[in-house]
Amino acid sequence: MVKSAAEPQLKAQAQAKAKARTDLVSGYAALPGSADEMLDKSGAVRPVWQHLLAAIGRMDETDLVNRFARADRYLRDAGVFYRAYGSKENTERNWPLSHIPVLIDEKEWQVVSEGLVQRAELLEKVVADIYGEGRLVREGFLPPALVGSNPEFLRPLVGVKPADGHFLQFCSFEIGRGPDGNWWVLSDRTEAPSGAGFALENRVATTRAFSDVYAETHVHRLASFFGAFRDTLQAGKRHPEDRIAVLSPGVANETYFEHAYIARYLGFMLLEGEDLTVVGDRVMVRTVAGLKPVGVLWRRLDAAFADPLELNQNSHIGTPGLVEALRAGSVSIVNALGSGILQTRAFLAFLPRISRHLTGEDLRLPSIATWWCGQAAEQAHVAANIEKMVIGPAYSVRPFFDDNEQSVLGSTLRDNAKTSIGEWLKTDGAKLVGQEAVTLSTTPAFVNGKLTPRPMSLRVFAARTLDGWQIMPGGFARIGSGDDVAAIAMQAGGSAADVWIVSDKPVARTSLLPAEESFTRNMPGSLPSRAADNLFWLGRYIERAEGALRILRAWHGRYAEAANPDMPLLKDVTEYLAALDIDTKQPVPSSLLANISSALFSASNIRDRFSPDGWLALNDLAKTARKFHATVQAGDDATHAMTILLRKLAGFAGLVHENMYRFTGWRFLSIGRYLERGLHMTRLLGHMTGPNTPDGAYDMLLEIGDSVMTHRRRYNVATASLTVTDLLALDPLNPRSILYQLNEIKTEVELLPNAFTNGQMSSFYREAMRLHAGLAVMTPDGMTPAVYRRFEQDLEHLSDVLAQTYLS
Amino acid sequence: MIYDINLKITYAYDVPVSGGRHMVRVLPLSQPGRQRLVAGSVSCVPTPQERHESTDFFRNAATSIVFRTAHDRLMIRMQARVTVDPVPITADFSPKLADLAPALATVWTLDPDSPHHFMGVSPRLPEVATIAAYARTAVCDGMTVNEIARALCTRIHKDFTYDPKATTVDTTPAAAFKLKRGVCQDFAHVMIVALRSLGIPAGYVSGFLRTIPPPGKERLEGADAMHAWVRYWAGPITGWVELDPTNDIPAGTDHIVVGHGRDYADVAPVIGILKSYGGQTTEQAVDVVPVLPA
Repeated sequence: MVKSAAEPQLKAQAQAKAKARTDLVSGYAALPGSADEMLDKSGAVRPVWQHLLAAIGRMDETDLVNRFARADRYLRDAGVFYRAYGSKENTERNWPLSHIPVLIDEKEWQVVSEGLVQRAELLEKVVADIYGEGRLVREGFLPPALVGSNPEFLRPLVGVKPADGHFLQFCSFEIGRGPDGNWWVLSDRTEAPSGAGFALENRVATTRAFSDVYAETHVHRLASFFGAFRDTLQAGKRHPEDRIAVLSPGVANETYFEHAYIARYLGFMLLEGEDLTVVGDRVMVRTVAGLKPVGVLWRRLDAAFADPLELNQNSHIGTPGLVEALRAGSVSIVNALGSGILQTRAFLAFLPRISRHLTGEDLRLPSIATWWCGQAAEQAHVAANIEKMVIGPAYSVRPFFDDNEQSVLGSTLRDNAKTSIGEWLKTDGAKLVGQEAVTLSTTPAFVNGKLTPRPMSLRVFAARTLDGWQIMPGGFARIGSGDDVAAIAMQAGGSAADVWIVSDKPVARTSLLPAEESFTRNMPGSLPSRAADNLFWLGRYIERAEGALRILRAWHGRYAEAANPDMPLLKDVTEYLAALDIDTKQPVPSSLLANISSALFSASNIRDRFSPDGWLALNDLAKTARKFHATVQAGDDATHAMTILLRKLAGFAGLVHENMYRFTGWRFLSIGRYLERGLHMTRLLGHMTGPNTPDGAYDMLLEIGDSVMTHRRRYNVATASLTVTDLLALDPLNPRSILYQLNEIKTEVELLPNAFTNGQMSSFYREAMRLHAGLAVMTPDGMTPAVYRRFEQDLEHLSDVLAQTYLS
Repeated sequence: MIYDINLKITYAYDVPVSGGRHMVRVLPLSQPGRQRLVAGSVSCVPTPQERHESTDFFRNAATSIVFRTAHDRLMIRMQARVTVDPVPITADFSPKLADLAPALATVWTLDPDSPHHFMGVSPRLPEVATIAAYARTAVCDGMTVNEIARALCTRIHKDFTYDPKATTVDTTPAAAFKLKRGVCQDFAHVMIVALRSLGIPAGYVSGFLRTIPPPGKERLEGADAMHAWVRYWAGPITGWVELDPTNDIPAGTDHIVVGHGRDYADVAPVIGILKSYGGQTTEQAVDVVPVLPA
């Protein structure tokens, strides 16, 4: 009976579901005048797409949305972000994934790959000539002005041969499919191509959404491409002890996440220019274990910033002497400094002829037609065909769809600048190029509950391997935000999609991780001094914030109950805090916020060493503190706020404590915390256990030191100076006592690199031992304000000695 | 002329610096037909931990020095003997401005002296619209490149006041142009931007001036420190010509060349990268004494 009653309802649901299915894909059609990735010329679904499309057809919208949510959650949990410029603040943005991958037949990909390999080989010849013999200019294949006036032409590198014999090791290409179905190269990237890491993350996220379809489809894997490139870089070392590192411009860079990600994925160090120093003709990294040689740098830093001594003198992110080390041939930089000149937009105009001259072959994948207006005939051609042209800066190293709108479509210009075009080209011709206004193909994106055609271009990566150039089977697709298929419309931004190269046979499954039976346990490499410095200070700032929060909580608790807001204890603590730059008039003082911001900044410099959870917890603490700063009132409200902040802080500390690998980095973080906690307690006891202690100070001290219960259990007397001193200064078992901190520091110090050299203690070790012994022999009645003051100075000194020993 | 040149550059640091790396370009060059370096040396106190000699892209002599120990003073000293040849006086073979671009298009080389290095923007010299407008007013139809350069040199000398207090080593050409004041570096930078805006390749020359003028001549501005002037490319026949806008004269036997570059950044006497927490003061002492033939 029950069954029959439910039947009509089920039927209606099934009908609705069927309707939803057809809605997802029905009505999808290529846009007039452009090719489509999913549909062929006749409008039929290309064979490689059929499986995915059938699978999507079986899903309803809810199912699909849930799948996309899985992908987005992965990206969020993994902390994938990029930094967006332009708005007031540089903000971190979530990675904009377009969830439907782009599928390409491996046979077609083979053609693309061969074309790009040819192109990479040609580009290598061109750049080797520009920084070598200079024959292309002398023999008339490359106008000298395009090199001589080119900001990417780095004269100090002329005549410098790359140590491993190659200028280019890693390139990317932006390609698009024209209306006739053939692929075009829109731009070359040789300076410091980004995106390979994002391609990996796109792949992981997309397979979260379509794990079933992915498993059933023969999609070429990405790992072997990275593995082959890693092996090449390994082979580039000339000394076995050489390090390999990813050289990043730093956290402010828009793709810093990727630098950290790639470094971790490939097992290389992540360094910044400041981490390096040149000694003799060798590049060395400053680590806590001393200077260590670096043999290969995969740079993500623009070449001009790499050496302030010989390149851009205003660079603060470079390494003085790096060019000299290159001249000595002791280090490989990938790609060679100066390779960015190949990205110059006007070069596209000369590549076809150079290709025929140098290799006797035409380019297998043509570049978009480009005319440099520094020549009379070309200038005239561009002026006459302005409707079909994109006009942009000749020396720009960015493709026209990515150059902050410095390029304009001729047809949009004409109305208001009809007469001036010819004049513009004549006066500024040498600085301009005209490029054919190409249109792109479309690919399905999920928009408003339907598959919708969106313009796309592909970024494809090429790596030099021991067996020659390899093209990553896949890459990432840029998906336009509107339906304008003119390539220049990509300026408006959009999203990124995974690219699946599909075979009709099973593909090899590779992973960068060796098979289990052959595992070795690698100890982490030497910790760069800058990372240690940031970890140490992160520990100090976090602990400093905690100390301030504890005092403020105790203060506001008493303030809320006090009949007299000027009672001596409150006044006394207010003065104490004022000396630390903390103003009790502000319920959540701005100096506390500054402290938390400093912790956040230190952490941001070492994000590759953190779990995304820890990072989110720290950000959450900062956000809440800022909110409280604006809203919280003195008294009970503030007490409550401090409790919340303390809990969030403990959450961060707990995540770090539970999850961080116990190695050198952990030790610096811990020493920072112990040292700051010791300082906090020393200062506080020195101030509040003296002869003129106001009423209630001892109880307040115990509360700040989280030791009320312990005191009650251990001493069984009313709080008094000696018992409080005993518990908070000298008790080795109380995790908030000064002696406890020194005990812990001593333990960590023994395990630091170079704690002993030739049987002798390092100066930091000796100083920590001395301080520990000095306190361990004290009795409570000996702890006078003068003794505390001396200890405070000694602890500050210990911090300086640590910096001198390990952090400079 | 034969000169003995002594240069002493001293840096005094408020707080001792823990180390540093410097690139020094102070040694006069040998340039056939212009001057010859008979002998020369660069020395430093304290003695650097490392020292490398090289020749840079524009064929200037460069010395890099590295310090790894703390010091609060640095002295760089250069001593040299140089013979300077007189520039022969010839008729004006430079092309008219309109004919310069076609002449440039026939030069297919990027050798260090190629005019193509000296056309576009360079590290210190962006395009400056105000200077470009100023340059245009100095040009009349039919003028040769030499005539234009001489006219600009005279105008800048007339319109600008030599004033060491007005600008610093970091002053931009736009700022110096607005002030109409400055030192040799500013005069040279403004003139180079002006020449390039007209399509005339122009570069920066650093060097020395003789300290005591010949009897009966006035002492030249800029003789008490390193000097700077301009060279421009006057077509394939004439090649490079040097003018000194600070003194409104062609660079002659009183001018000793140390380096050629696109602007100051290419030939700065000392580029230093230091780890430092305080300020510094710099002093330069120059002595350029003619050696009378015995």
